[in-house]
Amino acid sequence: MTTKDDRPSKDPTPNKKALNRRDFVKTGVVAGLGSGVLLDSAEAQAQVPASGTQQTVWHYEADVVIAGGGCAGLTAAIRAVDLGASVLVVDQNFDLGGRMLHSAGRMSLGGGDPVQQRDMSGESDREGFVTVAPIEEPEELDDDVELLFTDLTDWSVVDPKGQAPYRYNERELARAWAENCPATRQFLIDNYVRFSRVAGTHGGGGLSRARLATCFLMLGDVTDIKAGTITAEDAGVADRERSSAFAPLRMNNASRSVGPNAVANGAALSRCLEFSAREKGVQFILHRRFDEIVREQPVAGRVLGIKAHYSPRQHPESGEVLQSLWQNGNIDERRDTVNIRARKAVILASGGHAGNPEVRSMFYPALREPAFPTSGRALLGSGGQDGSALIAGLRIGANLAGMQQNLSYFTTFHISTRLGTRDAYTGMMPGHPTFGFRGSAGFSVGSSGFEEFIAVNQVGKRFFNEVRLPARPGPSAYPGDRGAPGRGLDHTPLDWRNCRKEWVREMYNYDHGVHAALALNEGSEAPDYYSGPLWAVFDQDAVDRNGWELRYPYVSDNGYFFQADTIEDLAEQIYAGHEFQRVPLKYLADTVGTWNGYVESGADPEFEREVDAPMNRIATGPFYALSIMVIWHDSYGGLRVNGRQQVVDMQGQVIPGLYAGGEAVGGFNKHGLGKGHVHGYIAGTHAVEEPSL
Amino acid sequence: MLRLVVGVLGLACLIAPAAVAQQQPDTVLLERGQRLYKENCALCHRDLGAGDPPTFPALRGSDQLRDPMRVVRTIRQGRDRMPPFPGLTAEELSALVNYVRNVWADGSSNVTTEEVAAVLGGLEETLPMGSVWDGVFTEAQANRGQAAYEGACGTCHGHRLNGAPDDPDMRSTPPLARARFLRVWQGRSLATLFEFTRATMPEDNPDSMTEQEYVDVIAYMLLLGGMPAGDAELQPDAQSLARVVIRAGR
Repeated sequence: MTTKDDRPSKDPTPNKKALNRRDFVKTGVVAGLGSGVLLDSAEAQAQVPASGTQQTVWHYEADVVIAGGGCAGLTAAIRAVDLGASVLVVDQNFDLGGRMLHSAGRMSLGGGDPVQQRDMSGESDREGFVTVAPIEEPEELDDDVELLFTDLTDWSVVDPKGQAPYRYNERELARAWAENCPATRQFLIDNYVRFSRVAGTHGGGGLSRARLATCFLMLGDVTDIKAGTITAEDAGVADRERSSAFAPLRMNNASRSVGPNAVANGAALSRCLEFSAREKGVQFILHRRFDEIVREQPVAGRVLGIKAHYSPRQHPESGEVLQSLWQNGNIDERRDTVNIRARKAVILASGGHAGNPEVRSMFYPALREPAFPTSGRALLGSGGQDGSALIAGLRIGANLAGMQQNLSYFTTFHISTRLGTRDAYTGMMPGHPTFGFRGSAGFSVGSSGFEEFIAVNQVGKRFFNEVRLPARPGPSAYPGDRGAPGRGLDHTPLDWRNCRKEWVREMYNYDHGVHAALALNEGSEAPDYYSGPLWAVFDQDAVDRNGWELRYPYVSDNGYFFQADTIEDLAEQIYAGHEFQRVPLKYLADTVGTWNGYVESGADPEFEREVDAPMNRIATGPFYALSIMVIWHDSYGGLRVNGRQQVVDMQGQVIPGLYAGGEAVGGFNKHGLGKGHVHGYIAGTHAVEEPSL
Repeated sequence: MLRLVVGVLGLACLIAPAAVAQQQPDTVLLERGQRLYKENCALCHRDLGAGDPPTFPALRGSDQLRDPMRVVRTIRQGRDRMPPFPGLTAEELSALVNYVRNVWADGSSNVTTEEVAAVLGGLEETLPMGSVWDGVFTEAQANRGQAAYEGACGTCHGHRLNGAPDDPDMRSTPPLARARFLRVWQGRSLATLFEFTRATMPEDNPDSMTEQEYVDVIAYMLLLGGMPAGDAELQPDAQSLARVVIRAGR
């Protein structure tokens, strides 16, 4: 974790428009403040006596205070506002949406949700955008809460790593989640989110029915959330090499699941919810990291609020503080640390831990390696996915849950096929404010492209069969699974044959290359024994064979792409130019020589490459090296909560006034968006029912 | 499904457990038949003849194999969604039919090349064989194919057709152009590509595009693969597509 930024504020005056101080000044901090949100520093600096020994100076207050403005946080915020609460959201990034904004916008809910019902009837959406026929047969959409609950706790289902994702789910969480799916889908629709036809389901969404629909907007002359339209420029489809501030990831063509001119991904979900939240009066403090939960006693009593410090995201070159796409509802607060009081409840929705190497070491010590920042680092910054909810929760006595589930999700960490970029997970092109944090978009060669080079570790030695290195197992499957559509009816829940060893043997498909990539090598030194960065090394012939476009914005001179006339020079350049290359690649020239010998003889005795693909000499300069990244994909494991999303302590007791949802929460192995939105919906519902302080 | 296809093509030869034949055909011919089976049939019917019903019928235990001359005609002319294989000679057909019937039927009546040639003589021959390098599609068709590709295929197979999805959440897929596509598909006909694609793609909703869209997407794949456009469009007709062979070079 980086240290906080203590620079003095340039402008200590908050954005007055966003604030409503009148009510506060009159009534102080007692309950019943309507929409009032702040306590201004220049005025009262109210001293709120906590019932413990210490006193906290509160700078802001609201009925519900939410840490994190992603899928769980925005949903919880809107839900709480709908139920009459005042809501303040704190987010560490310069913009809202978290990882949701960058997602594919595919969301599996179900239990007989309104989109399933719409497709069963064959109807269009209420705006008439959905013009294609339903993709799934009505029987595949005929779902209910009981079936969904059964699916989410089905002990018999395994994935191609032979692991069982559902059997470890907390049953109370699964039940609450299933019961709230239909209402959450309707809630999202009521807040401008448009859903495509249902097609199939997700890993984690249960196998028995089709539950996955994708969020879309329609291409049009203007971007207008109420009308459901977006320009080609904002959707990122006008120019493949340019992103908009609206959508960090180019939006997908959704003509098959919606109709002509539909585009889909997480931007069509995130921006619509954000628009609704701002329209309904949710207030936001951005550029601010949530650090601590304030409780009456260190590990006892009610939760009173949070502390959060100013941590502006600044453009890496100009130093300018980045601005959110929309501003209404933003509070421009630049003091170092502010304390925010929650009259009813705090909701932790600040995401998972994939971006915090120290927290990751709880799950996989070798992934403490900081060379692999992973999981949207450029988009979210070092404060994104930083385990803040887990860390703060532990300090006040919260329990954890599902800590093994990172290892029982099929794709938690793997080797990216996108080479030559600092952030191999995200897809921002120039035009998005965060492109500068990656410096290059990277070049995705696909799994099959790995046969075109040798992959070496930090000392320049090969470590695995390159062809099998990026292989990723798929989601859970059952005997006879033929994929969507029409896959669910054939699944028999809770049938022992779903995981009989003959089926597992047939289905098992995992190569373990990522573990070889993270292995100790001669450059690993005490006390951390970091495995170091990984490099794809190839020659000009490989570029010519494949027509690879090794140019800006795909690669750049950012320390993740090198080119040289000799292998020796290439090794020196990497050592001099890459931030995590701690040792020289002293074996690289020998490795290339040995490889060329293998190519000549047609056999690779070390890794049996010849079995999988042709081998090509690396002999024609110039020579190239592109970084290969291990990415930590999603987070599982986190705070323990009950079915109302209330955080539970080590004694099994609810921590009063504290809720959590999304990737901050453990014990429920379910793909991100579906998990986060329903958690947010549940948390927002119950947080408002708390008595006011 | 894709995993299985790659498995079939990437595996070393497995000798299928041959049923004991009444008349032992010679081993050389059987091995020839097995090789032809792998090159032409195993893509769908799989190494062990199990197919992938109902998309790809099983050969093992199929009563369709009972009459050898029916098998000859089926392979040569196609049947239902199975593409025709007009490029096979009478000699190759007899080796293939005898292999298939020896392994998965009783194999009691082997056919000779002469008998097969006699059957073929009665079939109407139409177009000459050609290749994807003969200008078999038009640029306008490939452009239409690009639009269809972006809607149905591009999300998974990537805008470079190299099997690299632009979405980092998605797993890689088989390439649809250039060397690694050709390694799997060279020697096969566009009819095989057309019918295989219709039967299996898009993975989340196979056979959901029109025949014209499938053939347009193939035109786009050929264009991206460097094959020349010509004056006439590729037709969504298995008989004519079967006469266009995918080759790595002219």
